[in-house]
Amino acid sequence: MSDHSADGGDGRGTARKANGMTDTHHGDGTTDTYEADTYGADGVADGRELLPTATAARTRAVVRRLLRPHRALAYGGFAAMVAATAVGLLVQPLLGRIVDVVAEGRSPDAITWPVVLLVVVALVQGGTTTLGLALVSQLGETVLARLREQFVDRALRLPLERVERAGAGDLTARVTGDVARVGEAVRTALPELARSFLAIGLTLVAMAALDWRFLVAALLAVPIQAYTARWYVRHAVPLYASQRIATGAQQQLLLDTISGAGTVRAFRLEEEHTARVTERSSAAVGLTMRGVGLVLRFYNQLHIAEFTGLAAVLGTGYVLVRDDAVSIGTATAAALYFHSLFTPVNAALVLLDDAQSATASLSRLIGVADEAPDDDASRDASPGERETADDTAPAVTASAVTHAYEPGRPVLHSVDLTIGAGERVALVGPTGAGKTTLAKLVAGIHEPDAGTVRLAPGTRTAPRPAGTLPVALVTQETHVFAGPLADDLRLARPDADGAALRAALDTVGALDWAEALPDGLDTVVGEGGHRLTPAQVQQLALARLVLADPPVAVLDEATAEAGSTGARALERAAARAVEGRAALVVAHRLTQAATADRVVVMDGGRIVQDGTHDALRAADGPYAELWAAWSGSRAVPGASDDTTGTTAADVPGPRGTP
Amino acid sequence: MSAERPAGQGGPATTQERPAPEAPPGAAERSAAERRSAPGTRPAVTGRDVLRAAVGEQRRGVAVGALLGSGHQVGEALVPVLIGVVIDRAVAGTDAGALARWLVVLAVVYAALALSFRFGAWSGERAAVRADHDLRVALVRRVLEPGGGAEEGRLPGALANITTEDARRVGAVNMALMLGISALTGILVCSVALLRTSVPLGLVVLLGTPVLLWLGHLLSKPLESRSEAEQERAAHASAVAADLVSGLRVLKGIGGESAALDRYRATSRDSLRATLRATRAQAFQNGMVLALTGCLIAAVALLGGRLAAEGTISLGQLVAAVGLTLFLLGPLEVLASVNAEMAQGRASANRVAEVLATPYAVRAGGATLPRPVRGAVRLRGLRHGGLDGVDLDVEPGELLGVVATDPAHAAALLRCLGRHTDPEEGDVELDGVPLRELDPGELRTAVLVAEHDADLFEGTVRGNVAGAADGTGGASCTDGASGTGGPGADGSGAGGASGRPGVEIDAAMEAAGVTQDLGALPHGERTAVTERGQSLSGGQRQRVALARALAADRPVLVVHDPTTAVDAVTEARIATGIRHVRKGRTTVLVTTSPALLAVTDRVVLLDDGGRVADTAPHADLVRRHETYRAAVLA
Repeated sequence: MSDHSADGGDGRGTARKANGMTDTHHGDGTTDTYEADTYGADGVADGRELLPTATAARTRAVVRRLLRPHRALAYGGFAAMVAATAVGLLVQPLLGRIVDVVAEGRSPDAITWPVVLLVVVALVQGGTTTLGLALVSQLGETVLARLREQFVDRALRLPLERVERAGAGDLTARVTGDVARVGEAVRTALPELARSFLAIGLTLVAMAALDWRFLVAALLAVPIQAYTARWYVRHAVPLYASQRIATGAQQQLLLDTISGAGTVRAFRLEEEHTARVTERSSAAVGLTMRGVGLVLRFYNQLHIAEFTGLAAVLGTGYVLVRDDAVSIGTATAAALYFHSLFTPVNAALVLLDDAQSATASLSRLIGVADEAPDDDASRDASPGERETADDTAPAVTASAVTHAYEPGRPVLHSVDLTIGAGERVALVGPTGAGKTTLAKLVAGIHEPDAGTVRLAPGTRTAPRPAGTLPVALVTQETHVFAGPLADDLRLARPDADGAALRAALDTVGALDWAEALPDGLDTVVGEGGHRLTPAQVQQLALARLVLADPPVAVLDEATAEAGSTGARALERAAARAVEGRAALVVAHRLTQAATADRVVVMDGGRIVQDGTHDALRAADGPYAELWAAWSGSRAVPGASDDTTGTTAADVPGPRGTP
Repeated sequence: MSAERPAGQGGPATTQERPAPEAPPGAAERSAAERRSAPGTRPAVTGRDVLRAAVGEQRRGVAVGALLGSGHQVGEALVPVLIGVVIDRAVAGTDAGALARWLVVLAVVYAALALSFRFGAWSGERAAVRADHDLRVALVRRVLEPGGGAEEGRLPGALANITTEDARRVGAVNMALMLGISALTGILVCSVALLRTSVPLGLVVLLGTPVLLWLGHLLSKPLESRSEAEQERAAHASAVAADLVSGLRVLKGIGGESAALDRYRATSRDSLRATLRATRAQAFQNGMVLALTGCLIAAVALLGGRLAAEGTISLGQLVAAVGLTLFLLGPLEVLASVNAEMAQGRASANRVAEVLATPYAVRAGGATLPRPVRGAVRLRGLRHGGLDGVDLDVEPGELLGVVATDPAHAAALLRCLGRHTDPEEGDVELDGVPLRELDPGELRTAVLVAEHDADLFEGTVRGNVAGAADGTGGASCTDGASGTGGPGADGSGAGGASGRPGVEIDAAMEAAGVTQDLGALPHGERTAVTERGQSLSGGQRQRVALARALAADRPVLVVHDPTTAVDAVTEARIATGIRHVRKGRTTVLVTTSPALLAVTDRVVLLDDGGRVADTAPHADLVRRHETYRAAVLA
C-alpha cells in the first residue's frame, strides 16, 4: 500500500494547496513585483518587446538535449522508481491473502508467511524508493544547474539594446522568479509527480491483473476527474494571473509607501496611503479567497469521483465474489488498491498546476538560454591592439550616424564626431538633445540605424583579444555587486592583484574610505552588505573603469546624482580616471566642459557647435548662452570675467594635477 | 470585510494610540525602554499579543473551521471502516440488500465529509487571510505614524517583507489551528474505533504510529539542517544571478561579462553539490519512512489476522484496522506540520510586534500652533548630528539660502526642521512655539521639508504634484491607485476646484520646470509614474518632486538641493520660479547651487564645525568669504 492514506494526503494536500496559493499571493514579492511590472497591469507589455519565450516544441527539444548526456541516470532512476512502485503493489494482494486465510478458516499460522513477505516488501520498497528518488533528483538538479548556467551566460551576453527594449524587469523576473519556480518544481513536483503517475498506472495494471472488471469499475472515476481537472485549469490560470498582478501591485505599493514613509509624512499623505494599502490588500484578499473557493470546489468534485469509483469497485467485488469469479481476499485487495489511489491521484492533480506554471517558466528560461549568442559581436568588438605608434589616428570616428528608438522619431540626425587618442571631449546641450544616445552609440550599446561608429584602428566587429576592452561606459546608473569590495572591482579585471586594486582606488580618490571600511577591501558591499554612499558607489564605478583600462571611455552624467558638494570631488575622480584615454564626457555641470580638450554642443539631435571651451565661449552661440547661465550665477559680482576662468581652472584638467 | 473595520478596536495588534499629549517636553530623550513602560504611552506589544489578537479576532472563523474540519476527519476515518463493513456484510455474505444499504451509508458519509471539508477549509482560510490583512494595515499605519521611528534601522525591503511574509505567517496560524484541532479529533475517533475493535490491536496501532513518526522525525533531523544549508546555497546562487543581471548595464559598461559568468558558474556548481547531498538525504528519509510504514502494516496484519482467525474480531474489523492504521498517519503528520507552522507563526509574530512596539522617534507635545501660521522659524543653540550650536532667525516670508560645507550638517538641519528627530540640545521654534511641544502631524501641515531624494509615488505626474496640494486631509491623489495604471489624474483637479486659496498646481509645475518637460513625456502630465519615479529621468523626477513641494503650499517650505540633475539654463529658470511662487511665504533653500542662492534674500553659511560662519546676501558672501566661494562656485 502506499505510504499514507487518502485522508492524510487529502487533508495535507489541501492545506498545502491552499497555502501554496496564499504563497503565490503573498510570497516572493520581488518576483511578483517584477512580473506585474513586466507583463503589465493591463496585460500588455506597454509597447515593449519582451525577450523571447520558447515554443512548446522548442522547450521539449532543449530539455531532451540537456537530458541526453545523463541518459544512464534517467534510465536508472526510472527503473528504480518502477521497481519500487511495483513491489509496493504486492502489499494489497498479501493483505488479501490474509483475509482469505481468515475467511477460509485456516490455521492462524498460515498468516505468518504473508506477513514475512509484507516485511520483505516494505524493506525492498524502501530501498528502491531511496535509490529512485536520489537518481531522479540528481538528474533534475544537474540539468537545472546546466540550464541556469546557460541562461545566465546568454543573459549576460544579450545586447543591452535588446534588454532595454524588453524592459529591465523582464530579465530580472526570469532570473529570479522563473529560475526559482523551475527549481522548486524539480525539487518537489518532479519526484512526486513521477511517483504518483507510476503509482496510478501500475495500480490500475494491478487491479486489471486481479480481474479486468475491477479496472473498468475504477475507471468510472476518470471522466469526473478529467472533467474536474480541465475545469480547474480553465478557471485557475486566469485567476492566478490576476492574483499575481494584484500581489505585485500590492507589493510595489507597500515598498513605495514604506521606503517613502518620510515623504508620506512630510506631505501628510498618511491616511491616503493607508487607504491605498487597505484597498490593494482587500483586493488581494478577495482574489485569494476566490482561489481558495476554486480549490475547494475542485476537491469537492474529486470526492465525488472517489465515491463513484469506490462504490463501483465494491459493487464489482460483490458481483464477482457472488459469481465465484474471485475470492473475498481479491475483492478486498481491489478495494484497498482503489483506496490507495486517492493519494497519488490527488497529488498528481494538484501538482499539475505547479507543473504547468513551471513549464511556462521553463519556456521563458529556454527562450533566453537558447538564443544564439552571436548577437553580441558589437560589444565583443575591439580596436585590435592599442595602437601606440599612430597617435594621430582618431580613437573614435562616428560618421553620419542616425538613430531612432521609435521608427519615424529620430533622435540623432546624421551626426559626425571624431575623438582623438587621449582627447577628452565634453558633450553638452539641453535635455533631450541626444547626448545620451550618441554616448551609447559610441559605447556600442546601440547600433546606429545609419552611418558607422569606428574605433581605431580596426572596426568594432573585429574579434576582441582576451583581456582588452575597447570602450568602457560609466553612467549615472550605478550598481554595487554583492560580495567583497575587491571582488566587485575584479569584475573589471579578474587577474588584478591587491596592489592594482589599491592603485585604481587611489586614482579615483577612494582608497582612504575603502581601507577604512570594517574589513578593508574584503568588506562585503552591495545588497545586504555594507552600504556605500552614492558618491562612493560612483567612485567605485570609476575605479572599475581604471581597472578595465580601455583606450576609449564614455562617461554619461557619471557625476550627476552625487549632489552639488560631492559632484566636485567626483569630477576630479572622473578626470583622473580618463587620463590618457580618449573620452567622451556627457555633462550638465559645465566645469567638465571648461576643462575638456574640446566641447561638442548638441541640440535637437544634431551637433550645433564644436570647438574648445574658450573659442565657443567667445563665439555667439548656444554654448555661450549655456555658459552665461552657468557662470552667471557663479560669477563673483564685480570681478572680471577672468575670475570664472580661474575658478574653473581649479578643477584639474585632463592631464592636470590637483 | 475586515478592511472596513476601524483599526483601533482590535487590541494590541492595531496601533492607533498616539503618545499621550500630556507628556512633558523633553520626554523624547528618555530611553526607549522607559518610554515603552511609561504610563499613558503605547502599551508594550509582544509577539504573544499579536498572535492572540490575530486568532482572537477571527475566533469564529477558526471555531467553525475546526468543527467542520473535525467532521471531515471523522468521515475520512469512517471510509476504511465502511469498506471493511461492505466486505464483511455484503461481499462475504453475498447480500445484495446489505450492499445497497451500506453503499448508501458510504454515499452519505462522503457527502458529509466533502461538504464539511469544503466549508471548514473555507472558513479557516478566510480567518487566515483576514488576520493577515488586518496585520498588514496595522503595520503600515504604524510605519506611517507622524511620530515615525518604525523604519529606522530597518531596510525598506525588510520592512515590506514583514508586512507581507510575516503578516501572512501570523495569519496562517489560524488555518494551522483549525487543521490541528481537526487532526486531533480524527486521531481521537480513530483511537476509539480501534480500541473498540480490539484493545491489543488498538494499542499496537496507537503506540506504533507515533513511534513510527518519531523515528521519521529523528531521521529527518539531520536532513532539516542540511536542507537549510542547501536552501541557503541555492538562494545564494539565485541571488548572485539576480545581482549580476540587475547590474547588467554596469557590467557591460566595463566588459565584465566573462568574469561575472565565471563567478556565477562557480556559485552554481557549489550550490549543485550542496543540493545533491541534501536530496540524497531526503530520498533516504522517504525510503526509510516507507519501509517503516510497511513494517507497521505487517505488524497490524499479523496481530489482526490472528485475532480474526481466532474469531475474536470479524473480517470487516480486520480490513478496517488496516485502513485505520493508514488513516492515522495522516492526522499525525498534520499535527507535526501544524507544530512547525505554529513555530513559524510565533517567530513572525515577534517580528511584527517589534515593529508595532517601536518607540516613536518624536513625541507630540501639548501645544498647538497659532493660526494662521506666520512662518517665523528660530533656531536656538541647535546641537545635533554635527551641528554645534546654531542660532538662526528666519523672518516670515523670507527666502533664505543655507549653504553647509559638510553635507552631514545639512542633513541634520533638515531632520530637525521637519521634526524627524528632536535636537540633542537647543530648540527649533515656529512662531514662537518649540517644535518639540507640537504634534509632528500638525507641524507638518505648516512646515514641509522636501528632501533631495524624496520619493515619487505611483500615479500620474500630475497626480503626484496634486496629491500634495491637498495632503492635509483628503485622498485626492488616489488616481491610478486602482492599479491599472490608466490615466486618471482627475482627482488632481480637486485642489483647484475646491476653491482652496493658494498655488495652482499648474503654477507649481511651471515654476519647477515640469511644464517644459511635459512634451517629452509620452502622455504629458498624465504620464504614469511607476517604481518610485524610475520611469522618469533623474532630472524629470527632481522637477516633479519640486513641483509637488511647491504645490503643497505650506507656510514654511524647506527644500534640499532640488536641481542637481538639471541643466544650467533650466536651473536659472527654476530659481526664478521658486522665488515667484513662494512670494510672501517662508522658504529655506538648502543648497550649494549658485543659481538658486542668487535669488535668495540672504544666505547662511554653516561651517566652523557646524556653526553659522556668516550671514549675508549671496553676492556679498561670494565677495567676502573664501570658504563660501569654495563651497558654492566651482
